[in-house]
Formats: sequence, C-alpha cells, structure tokens
Amino acid sequence: MLRPWLNSGALRCLGRPRHPSRPLLIHPTNLSSPRNLHATSDRIPLRKQLKQEAKSLKSQKKQRKENEEASRQTWELTVGVEIHAQLDTAAKLFSRAATSTSDAPNSNVALFDLAFPGSQPEFQAATLLPALRAAVALNCDIQRVSRFDRKHYFYQDQPAGYQITQYYEPFARNGYVDLYDYDGIAPEDGERVRIDIKQVQLEQDTAKSQEYPPSTQLIDFNRVSHPLIEIITMPQIHTPATAAACVRKLQSILQACGAVTTGMELGGLRADVNVSIRRRGEAPGHCQYDGISGLGQRTEIKNLSSFKAVEDAIIAEKNRQIRLLESGGVVEGETRGWTIGSTETRLLRGKEGAVDYRYMPDPDVPPLVIGDDVIAHLQQTLPTSPDALLVQLTGPEYGLSIEDAKPLIELDDGARLEYYQDVVDILCALHGDLDKASQVVLARMAGNWVLHELGGLLTKADRSWDAEIVPARSLAELINHLQLKKITGPTAKQVLAMIFEGDRRPVPQLLEEDNLLLRPLSREEYLTLAKSAIAQNPKMVEQIRSKNQLGKLGWFVGQMMRTGEKGRVEAPRAEEVLRELILQG
Amino acid sequence: MSLLREAEKCIANQQVHRGLNAFITPIPRAGQWLDRVKEADQRREQGNSKSPVDGRLIAIKDNICTRDLPTTCASGILDKFNSPFNATVVGQLEDAGAVVAGKTNLDEFGMGSNSIYSRFGPVKNVGRDGQEFSAGGSSGGSAVAVAAEQCYAALGTDTGGSVRLPAAYTGTVGFKPSYGLISRWGVVAYANSLDTVGIMGRTTSSVRDVLSILNRYDEHDPTSVSNSSRRRILSQITSRSISKPLRIGVPIEYNIAELSPLVRKAWLRSLADLQAQGHTIHPVSLPATKHALSAYYVLAPAEASSNLAKYDGVRYGTQSEDPTYSNTRGSGFGSEVQRRILLGTFSLSADAMDNYFIQAQRVRRLVQQDFNAVFNTTHPLAAINDRDAGHSKPGDVDVLVCPTVPSPPPLLSDLTSPSTGSSSSSLYAYVSDVFTVPASLAGLPAISVPVTLAESSPNSNNSDSDAGQVAGIQVIGQYGDDELVMQVGELLEGQRFSG
Repeated sequence: MLRPWLNSGALRCLGRPRHPSRPLLIHPTNLSSPRNLHATSDRIPLRKQLKQEAKSLKSQKKQRKENEEASRQTWELTVGVEIHAQLDTAAKLFSRAATSTSDAPNSNVALFDLAFPGSQPEFQAATLLPALRAAVALNCDIQRVSRFDRKHYFYQDQPAGYQITQYYEPFARNGYVDLYDYDGIAPEDGERVRIDIKQVQLEQDTAKSQEYPPSTQLIDFNRVSHPLIEIITMPQIHTPATAAACVRKLQSILQACGAVTTGMELGGLRADVNVSIRRRGEAPGHCQYDGISGLGQRTEIKNLSSFKAVEDAIIAEKNRQIRLLESGGVVEGETRGWTIGSTETRLLRGKEGAVDYRYMPDPDVPPLVIGDDVIAHLQQTLPTSPDALLVQLTGPEYGLSIEDAKPLIELDDGARLEYYQDVVDILCALHGDLDKASQVVLARMAGNWVLHELGGLLTKADRSWDAEIVPARSLAELINHLQLKKITGPTAKQVLAMIFEGDRRPVPQLLEEDNLLLRPLSREEYLTLAKSAIAQNPKMVEQIRSKNQLGKLGWFVGQMMRTGEKGRVEAPRAEEVLRELILQG
Repeated sequence: MSLLREAEKCIANQQVHRGLNAFITPIPRAGQWLDRVKEADQRREQGNSKSPVDGRLIAIKDNICTRDLPTTCASGILDKFNSPFNATVVGQLEDAGAVVAGKTNLDEFGMGSNSIYSRFGPVKNVGRDGQEFSAGGSSGGSAVAVAAEQCYAALGTDTGGSVRLPAAYTGTVGFKPSYGLISRWGVVAYANSLDTVGIMGRTTSSVRDVLSILNRYDEHDPTSVSNSSRRRILSQITSRSISKPLRIGVPIEYNIAELSPLVRKAWLRSLADLQAQGHTIHPVSLPATKHALSAYYVLAPAEASSNLAKYDGVRYGTQSEDPTYSNTRGSGFGSEVQRRILLGTFSLSADAMDNYFIQAQRVRRLVQQDFNAVFNTTHPLAAINDRDAGHSKPGDVDVLVCPTVPSPPPLLSDLTSPSTGSSSSSLYAYVSDVFTVPASLAGLPAISVPVTLAESSPNSNNSDSDAGQVAGIQVIGQYGDDELVMQVGELLEGQRFSG
C-alpha cells in the first residue's frame, strides 16, 4: 500500500514555516517561481497572500494529522526516554572543584577532573541530596547499596577515557511518573497515563568542546564531572505527544523538587529516545527491552535539546521506519541524530559501528551506602509536587483555571508561585474575615495581575523574574484598592507600571500624593459627559439605535473617559448612563 | 658515619654505577639536598631527629609523582612529564626529613617482571663475574639502587610482585604492605585494586623505619584504610595470641615442578632453620593458587586498559606529530604496555566479559578465601566486607613461608635475544610472578628477604663459591599482620646456609 503523503512536497515543507524571517518560502508556488517576489504584473496583495498561506498551512496540518492517525491505526509506536539532567550542586561529583556554567573557561578544574596521573576521585557526598530528591519525587526504590562503573570511549571531552556512571547497580530503581491530560498527552491516552521508570543513576558530565573549523578545537573542562542523573523510562510510551509531555513533566518534577537548576532551554537537560514500531494485529515483534517483549527493532535518537525536538524527531523516525518496513526493508539497531528544523533523523552510527563501552566496576570509588534515615528525611521535606500544586491552585482555595495554574507553577522555578501566594496571603490579611467565595475572587484577581499584568511588563521590558521589582505587598495593596473600587482599572495598571519602573513609595502614599484615588462622579456629572459625547456624534448614535450596534457603546465610554477628569470616570457607570440616554431616550 | 658522609657515598655510587641504569632522574651532586642533610646531622647530634629517616636518601620509583623531578613512568608518552603535585608518600617522607634520592627506572607503568620495558633502557643487575642479570621488575631500578648503595632505601610499587621479585633477584629486602595502608594519591595507577606502594631496603629494619612514616590514613586516597578501620585492625592484632613457638605454614601447591633446585634448597634450608629456632612447620593447602596467575593476568590488564585510557597527549604528555589518538598512543606506549592494554580491552569487551573478567573476579575471591582458611586469625575487615563468604573454621598458622620467585634471575641477554621470541619471553616473565600474585589478589602483607646458600650449585650462573648464591624467601601474613610478617622476615634475613 502506497501512502501518497510520504513523498508529497507538503510534508517536506512542514519543517519550514517556523522561520518567520522568510515567510515567502512557506507558499509552495513561491518556492518554484522566485520571479513572483519581484514581478509587478502578477503581484499578489499581501493580505491575500497571508490568507492563502494560513489556509495552506492549515490544510497541511490537517493532512498531517490525518496521515498520523492513519499510520497509528496500522502501526503501534513504542518509545522509551532517557533524560540527562545536571544536578544543582556546589561541587563536582568526584572533586571539590566548583560547578559553574558561566565562569571563565577552565577555571574550575581539579587534578582529577583533568585525569592527571596519580590523581584519585573524591566522592562529594553533598551531590547525593539533589539526586535522592529526584529519585524520591519519581517514586523510586532507593537502593541501600549502589556502585560506580567506568564507561569507556575515547573523545576529547572525556579526559579519563571513561565516564564514571552507575551501570550495573544504580542508586534508584522502579519509579514512575504520572502524565495527565493537562500535561499535554495525546488524546488517545485519556486522562492519565503512568510511565514506569526503570532506574535513575548518578554520573559525570563531559567537558564542553567547541569546534572552529578547519582545525581548532577548544575544550572547557569546567563542565567535566558536573554531577548528572540519568533517568531511564520503560518503553511504555505510544505517541510522540506523550513522549514530549513525559520529558516536560520530568523536567518540571526535577525543578519542583530542587534537583536541578536549569531546564532544556539552557542545556541543563538533554533527552535521548528509543523508537520502535510494530504492525497492529500481527504476531508480536521479536525484540525485548527492559523486560517488555514483543517489540520491533528499535533505534536510538541522541541528544534532543527541546520538547518540540523530542516530538518531531519521534514522528520523523516512526515514519522512516514505517516507510522502510512497507517497502520491504529492515530496521537496523542504529544510533541516529536530529537537527532542529529538519524532517528526517540522520544516521550517526550503524549497528556495526556500535561502541563497546567495556563497563568495569571503578576500583577507586567505594560503594555508595544510603541510610534509611536519609531517605525518610528527604521524603518528609520534599516540596509539594507540581501535580499536588495544580490540585491546590485549581481547588476551592484559589479557584484558578488550569491555564493560569500551570504557568504559575512552571515559571521561574517556582519563584512566581511563591510570589503569587505571598500576594494572596497579604490580600486576605488586608481584608480580615473572608468567606470562601470572596477569597476565590481575590485569588483569581491576584492570578491575573501576577501572570498577565506583571508578566506583560516583564516581557515588554525584557527583564527576567525578580520578586523585588514589584514587592508582593505593593501589588496586594494595589489589587485591594481596585477591588474596593478606590481606584479604576486603568489607574491600577498605571500605578503598577510606576512601581515597575522603580517608584518605591508605599502604594497608599503614592495614590494620595499623585491624586489617583477615585473620587466618584455624581450622576449629574456623568449625564453631562454623556450628553456632550452624544451631541458630537449623532451619526453613531443613530447607528446604535437603528442597527442595534451595541458594540459602539464602548467607543462612547472611551470618549467619556477621555473628556472626563483623569482616573475618575468608571466605565460601568459611564455605560449605564449611555444606555439610558441612547437606548431608552 | 655522619648522615652527610652516608649521603655523599650514595651520590658517589650513583655516579660510579650510572651504567646500571637504576635511575631515570638522579639528583645532582651538589644541590639543596646537601643543606637538608647537614641540618639533619645537627638535629641528630642534638638528639632531636625528626624521624628514623631524617637526613636519609630515599629513591622514588618513577611512577610516583614528584613536583621537583620529572615523573616519566619510563614511558614515551610521559617522557617529559612534570607532575604538578607530590604524591602523599613523597610529602610524608620529606616532612620526616628524608631526601628524595632521584627517580628510579622501571618497566613502563609498572608492567613487567625484568625492568627491561623502559623507554630509558633496561636496568642492569651485574653479578660478581660481570654478567648482566635481570634486576626483576617492575621496581628493578629501586632494587638496584638499594643493592648498589645508591640510596638508604627506596620506594617501589607492587601490583603483582613488583617489589618482592626485584628484591629476590638483587638480594635486598622488599616489602608489600596490606592493601590500603600506604596512600596511593600521586602513585600512577596500573591496576588500582592491586596497586600498593612497596618499600625496599638492605635490611628489614630500614624498611620498618620507612613504613612507620607512611603507614597513615590519607583522605585523598579513597582506598586508604580509615582511622577507625586502623583501630579495629590494631585492636585485633594486639589482642590476638601469636603462637609461641610460631606456627609456620608451607603451601604445598607452591612446590611446583618448575622450581629451580637452588630455590627449592633455599626454601628447605629456611624452613629447617626456622624449625631449628624452635618454630613448627605445617603443610597447608591453597587450592586456588593454580588459577591465581591467570586471574591476575586478566584483572590487572583490564584495569590497566582503563587506567591508561587517559594518556592521549591532549592535556599533558607527549603528543605524536600527527596528533591523532592512535598515533600518540601507538608511538608513546611500548610493546608490553600495548600488549596489556589490548588484553584488558578484550577481556572487558561485551562478549568476553563474563568468561574472563567476571571469572577472574571469582577466582580472586577464592584466593582470598584460601588464605582466610589457613591463617589462625580472621581477616579484620572481612566482618564487614565478606559477611556472606561463610568461610569455615579458621586455620592454624601464623604466617606462610615460600619462595618469592621460582628461579634465579635470568641473563638480560636471554631476555632480549631474538631467538626467544618476544611473546614467549613475556610468557616466561608472567610465570615468574606465580608466587607473588596470590598475596596481591588477597591484599595481604608479604615480604621477600634474601638468604644465601654458601655451596656452589652445578648449574650456577655465579661460580664464586665463597659468595654463595642468593635467593628470595617470601613471608605472607594475614591482612593487617604487617609487623609479624617483618618479624618473621628478620628471622631469615641474611641467613647463610651451608649446603
């Protein structure tokens, strides 16, 4: 059975629309006739062109979705994920040298990090804490005794010629991670899917090398021996979206429990995936991985550095394997790579080029013995998990939507959430006795202001998060004034911007001094303002009356706010008077 | 004799015997060391010497890092290498007032039994008749430096016999302590799980003096025995009852067909002598011994292939002109090192791992259990490490006495002549480790002391019957029994037996 989409130009173009600087390339006709860019005779109006492009993109997406669904009906995809995450530790795994990501190159290296003759490893026990927190957060069995092994290969970023890892006896086994619909799993996975974690192991990072063709290679050994954990899931994932969701979820759990400092975007987390397919309804495949049998031959895709790359690479690799099998070919157990923006995985190492790592127990590193008391302590002091936080934020206490709760949890390593909770606490304290319903109103308002208003200012100014830019107390007082109708919404936004720019006066003083407190207008004053606006725009009044174009009322409200004394015109009251005069008059 | 005169005599001997090639880097005739020895002399006169080795010249095997002298490991890949730091043992000796007498020659990275695999040429062990014999290896330079009085004592390293074998060939005392007693920080690894720093001297008493300085916990060495374990070992030693008279074990498996008549006679005379001193002799069986040598030559190269992966010429060391890894390593490493790296790479490869490396580890465990079964004391660290070993009732001997090496030293010309192909000669060299390897696998203390047979033997290499022929006798003890091993060594050391 031939599948026409597989060779269509449309699929090949899919990877391209991500380049906003080259929008003209999106349209297939533009690809084949570059004259269109300059020829005046058949120039397409920009608006029309944009519409066409959007339409074409939409149909491509639809086509792709249908194709994916068709292939899913025939083929079952199986994916396992391996995550490497840099632990948040002060020292390296086997030396007292400091970990750093920003220090001058090669400024944090001990003798052992450079594999100097005669130097020996010195295990830094403190690196265990973030590793154990991660293992506890991933529901693993912590092993009382674990050991370190050497994994051998020659590369300039590996000074000793081997990496110290935990191959035979890792420190944690048999965990799991739950993925929910709100984590972005594929619809066919339902509300929740549980992915088992085979093991978590401690290991060293490599050095960072930079190539300057043709012949210069620079190596920065600061990163060498930075402690990593490798998390290996069972091959239990069956859709690309769920694989990406799994990586995203693992990152958020690692960040929430304080195991790591940075995520994928800063290179603190890297993912490898293994991918196999088998035809549904046929005899099971002959391969077995991690105790799961009946699978097809798998390939491994190395070093994926974004969630999108995880999803895209799996789709591409799955389609490559389908194409291969449908044309009578055989999938080889090879290692493949992925370039962002590409549509095909590429061969890195064939099966015959497979590396024999010659794992050997490290004779210099003693076994790791972890006491039950340490594990118990970590279990008690582990921060609340992102899932539990989500339940809390969307529950009766805060009443946030999932769309607002998720970014609050995920932004700024939890700092935004902490700030948000501070604001709500202060707000509630300012109000004294509160029933549940009014508390939720305040919590939702605070959510909006912390995420959207303050977030908007941060984005506009291109500043990173700092809880001190707008102190939680200031924002709480501002929201409090707004909620009590002592200021208008526009005033509140204006004051927030002032504080954001550095105005450090206490909010009540600021409002007082700058004369921003709302002095309500009388009904007569509203009537005067409204009548004046109506008189100046009789045509629009007529349109509202005859065609019932109520949307235009808002325009009149704007007119009244502009002509009225600044900060005193309240929109709802202005509209009330306008309706009265225009519709009932 | 003043310390200064003694030191000057050593330096003069270094010059006179330069041809023996014991040193890769000798110390200059005049140097800062002179003042340090003079100061030590003054301290001695005033009766406040820093230690028994204050002002003594101690030679250091060139695979032990020194900040002030190059550390080449006798390898082309490190032929110009200067370590940025001192090994802990070097610092300990200098703090005790000792002076580094230079860096001694060895088999490259400690791999060899005759000190012929050196980038700087072989070490020569010259007999009275001028014939050049093997000095033993790999610490042959240290052994010859001690034998020719080019230093007071020397440090070597002993992975499978590398201190004891050269001691036996050169008529000196060579001591390998219990694994983990002496720090390995700054000792270039050959096979970490077996490597120990060993001490060579003309007498056991000088060896004991040096040991008293080095026998300390070092936080930089993760395999250094902790202070609490040292206390446990000490309390077991002091509470145990050493048999009076001593019960001497004789491992029957060591009486192999290949034993040369000279060595067998030296062994018998030594046992007879101990018996004459009132001690009792008891045959014991160490059945795993026959597999120990094969296990050693799987495990040590495996670790070596891993440890030597770091030498790529990128961060330090000598890079080949066309600086690929294979060129740098191909031209930097000598033939024996390359042979062992390949052996180790093979035995660790996925298809061979189970049949070689894992099997060899099992044999190693059996060898340890063999020893535990014959000594009348339990292994002081076994209680925690080996709870599951379930060794039966302890044996009843205090120490074992056996030869250090099956034959007298071979002629250098026989080792290097083209007629004996290089592979057969390396196999022959491996066999010479058969008696020293078991104690290494088990981490036990062992000493080789020289005894002399005054009678001239018919197949002698050394026809001078007055001088007699020297053979090395080895004493092996339970883990932690280092002092007892030295005491028994002293009972035999320098004994002259008539035929």
